[in-house]
Amino acid sequence: MRRYVFGRLGQVILTLLIYVTLVYFLLQAMPGDITMMYLSNPKIPQAAREELKKQLGLDQSLFMQYVSYMKNFFRGELGVSFSQYPKPVWDILMEKLPRTFVLFLTANVFSFYVGFVMGKVIAWRRGKVIDYAATVVGITFWTAFYPLLALVVIWIFAYNLKWLPLNQFIDPRLWSAAPFTANQVFGNMVYGAAIIGIGIFFIFYYLLRGLKPSRRSRAQAWALACALIAAVLFVAARKGMLIYIWDITRHMILPVFTLTLINFAGTMLLMRDSMLETVQEDYVMAARAKGLPDKVVRDRYAARTALLPTVTSLVLSLASSMSGGMVTETMFSWPGLGQTLFAAALSNDYPLATGALAFTGIFLLIAHFIADILYAVLDPRITYTGQSGV
Amino acid sequence: MDTLLRLEDLTMHYKTKAGWVQAIDNVSFSLHRGQSLGLVGESGCGKTSVAMSIMRLLPYNAKLVKGRVLFGGHDLYTLSDEEVRQLRWKEVAMIFQAAMNSLNPVYSVGNQIVEAIVTHEPETGEDEARERVKSLFELVGIPKERMDHYPHEYSGGMKQRAVIAMALACNPSLIIADEPTTALDVIVQDKILREIEEIRRTINMSMIYISHDVSVIAEVSDIVGVMYAGRLLELGPADDVFKRPKNPYTYSLMNAYPSILGEKHDLVTIPGEPPNLLDPPTGCRFHPRCDWATKECREVEPAWREITKGHYLACHNPVRTEHGTAHNKTARRAPGKGGDGIGTSGGN
Ligand SMILES: Nc1ncnc2c1ncn2[C@@H]1O[C@H](COP(=O)(O)OP(=O)(O)O)[C@@H](O)[C@H]1O
Ligand code: SF4
Ligand SMILES: [Mg+2]
Repeated sequence: MRRYVFGRLGQVILTLLIYVTLVYFLLQAMPGDITMMYLSNPKIPQAAREELKKQLGLDQSLFMQYVSYMKNFFRGELGVSFSQYPKPVWDILMEKLPRTFVLFLTANVFSFYVGFVMGKVIAWRRGKVIDYAATVVGITFWTAFYPLLALVVIWIFAYNLKWLPLNQFIDPRLWSAAPFTANQVFGNMVYGAAIIGIGIFFIFYYLLRGLKPSRRSRAQAWALACALIAAVLFVAARKGMLIYIWDITRHMILPVFTLTLINFAGTMLLMRDSMLETVQEDYVMAARAKGLPDKVVRDRYAARTALLPTVTSLVLSLASSMSGGMVTETMFSWPGLGQTLFAAALSNDYPLATGALAFTGIFLLIAHFIADILYAVLDPRITYTGQSGV
Repeated sequence: MDTLLRLEDLTMHYKTKAGWVQAIDNVSFSLHRGQSLGLVGESGCGKTSVAMSIMRLLPYNAKLVKGRVLFGGHDLYTLSDEEVRQLRWKEVAMIFQAAMNSLNPVYSVGNQIVEAIVTHEPETGEDEARERVKSLFELVGIPKERMDHYPHEYSGGMKQRAVIAMALACNPSLIIADEPTTALDVIVQDKILREIEEIRRTINMSMIYISHDVSVIAEVSDIVGVMYAGRLLELGPADDVFKRPKNPYTYSLMNAYPSILGEKHDLVTIPGEPPNLLDPPTGCRFHPRCDWATKECREVEPAWREITKGHYLACHNPVRTEHGTAHNKTARRAPGKGGDGIGTSGGN
C-alpha cells in the first residue's frame, strides 16, 4: 500500500510540474500583458522603469525567468497581483481557495450521494415507472443550459419565494457590525465541519463494524454523532459565531442545490448502468439464494461492486464542476477561485491568473490522487502495485 | 420414509420476444430426507430451471404454468416472499453451476459465510459463527487461516470448496448442486464430489446433483432422473436405471459417457441436439433423435407411469434388453419401421 501511495504521489508531482510549466508559458504567450503597460507608462521615469524591470525579473532570459518562476512557485511565492496591487497572489488565493473548495466539495458530495442512491434504486426497479421518471428528470437537468437553470433557481427560491439570499457569500448588512471577518468565520466552519466529518466517520467505523451491529451499538453511534455535532455548535455559539455561520450556510444552499441538480444525473446514470451489470452477476443470485433480505442483496452485493466505477465519476464530476466553477461563481457572485480567475483574466492580471489556474490544477490532481487511493481501498482486487489482481 | 421435497406436475415457461420457452413440462418426483437424487440430461434440458423453481428463484420472465413444489409440507408458491427468504439456505441451499463466480469479490470469503449464518440464526453471535466457519473449512479441506482472504486470493478448487462450506453453513435439509464441478479438472472434480457425498451421508442430508454427465451422477445418487427437453423421461433407483435403462434416451446417454460400471465400451454421441423449447416436437419430445421412434411417438405424448416399484418411465417403446447386452448394437431393436428416416442415422 505504501509503495502504491508513493508511486501515485510521484506521478501527481510530475504532472503538477508539467502543468505549472504549461500554464506559465501559455500565459507568457498571451498578448497584451499589463507589465508592458506599466513599463511603457510615460509617467514612470526611465530609472524607475529599469528598477521595476529588474524587480519583475524581466531583464533576464525567458528560460531564467521560467526557472525562477518555478522556484518561487514551489516556495509559495507567486508574486504580486497587478489588479489588487500590492496584495500578494498567495494571500488572495489562500482567501479564495477554501471558499471554492468547500462549495464544490459540498455540491459534489451531495450530487454523488443523490446520484448513487437514485441510481441504485432505479436499477433495482429497472423498467418500472420510477426508473423512467428519474431518468427523464435527471437527463433534463443534466442537459439543461447551466446559467439559465441557475437563473431559474435564483428566480424561484430567492426572488419569488424569498427563502434564500439571491447571491453573494455573506449578507453585508448583518456583517457590518460583526466582530469577525467572513474569513475567520468561514475558517472556523471548515474546521468544525472537518471535526464533525472525521469524528462521525470513526464513530460509525468502530461501532458499526460487524456484519450485524446490535441495536445498542447503533443507538450509541447515533448518540455520539449527535453529541459531537452539538458540542461543535456549542463552541461556535460560545464564540458568538452561530448567526454568522448560519448566514454563510444560507448563502451556500442555492449554489449547492443548483450544482446538485445539474450534476446528479451523471452519477445516477453511471450507477444505474454499472448496477445493471452487477445484478446479473452470479454472486448476486447466490446472495438471493442465501436468503439475504432484498435490501442487503441490493446494497451489499449489487450496489457495493457497482460503486467502484462510480467513484471515478466523483472525481470527474468534481473536475467538470470546477471547470464550470467560473460560471457558478459568477452567477451566484461567489467570491472564489473561479470568479478571481475570471476577473484576473479580464484585467490581464497575469500573476494572479497563473496562480489561480495553477491552483485549480493542483486541486484536481489532489482529487485524482484521493480517488485512486479510494478506489484501491474499496476494491480488494486492486493489488497495490497498480495492477488488478484478477 | 419421510418425504422432504415433492414436485407435482411442475410446468414452467419463460416468456421471450420469440414466444414462450417451455422449459419445464409436467415434472413430478419426490425426494426423501437423506436421499440423493441425480438429475441428468444434455445441456438446455431444463435442469437448472428445475433447481431454480425449487429455490423459487426464477427470473422475472418465468411463469409457473401449472403444478406445485412442496417442501417439508409447505407449498412453496403459496408462501410470501419473506417466508421463502427464510427457508432459503436454512432449509435449501445451493451450489451454483458457476460456483467460481458465486462469491462476492469485495468481501472476505469467511464473512460471506458468517453473513449467511447470522442472517438465519439471529441468536448466533458473530464470533460463534466464525468458529463454525472454521470447522466448515476444516471439513471441506481449506486451511482455516484462509477465511479472511478475498475470493480472488483463492484457487479455483478452493473457491469450489468454499462454496460447498457455505452451502453447509446453516445445516440445510437439502442442497442442490448444479453442475458443481464442471469448471474443475476431472481428478479434482471426482475428489470433491466424493467428499460432498461423504459429508452428506454423515449428516443425513438430502441432495440433488445436477449434471449432463451420467458418470458423475451415477457415482453419487440414490435415485436418478433423466431429463430431456423439459420433461422427465425416466426416474428410478440409480442401480435399476443404470443397469436396466428403459428409455432410449437414458440408454443413449449412457453410451455417450464412459461406463459407470467400469466396462469399456465405445462412446457413441447422440446425433443431433436437444430441440428448441420455443416449439418442442409433438408427442415424445425425443422422437426426432430416437432410434426407437414410431408413429405413435410422433403423435402421442407417452404417459408417465410406474413400471416397477419406484421406477418411472415415459416411453412408448421401452428398451427391453438387460444392461450389458444393451451396449451391443445387435441387441437394438429395429427402429420403428424405417422409412421415416428419423434418427436412423445413429452415427454408430
Ligand atoms: N431466463 C430465461 N429466459 C428464457 N429462456 C431461458 C431462461 N433461462 C433458461 N432458458 C431456456 O430454458 C431452457 C432450459 O434451460 P436450463 O434450465 O438452463 O437447462 P440446463 O440447466 O439443463 O442446461 C433452455 O432452452 C434455455 O435456453
Ligand atoms: S421410443 Fe418413442 S416414446 Fe420412447 S423415447 Fe423414443 S421417441 Fe420417445
Ligand atoms: Mg444448467
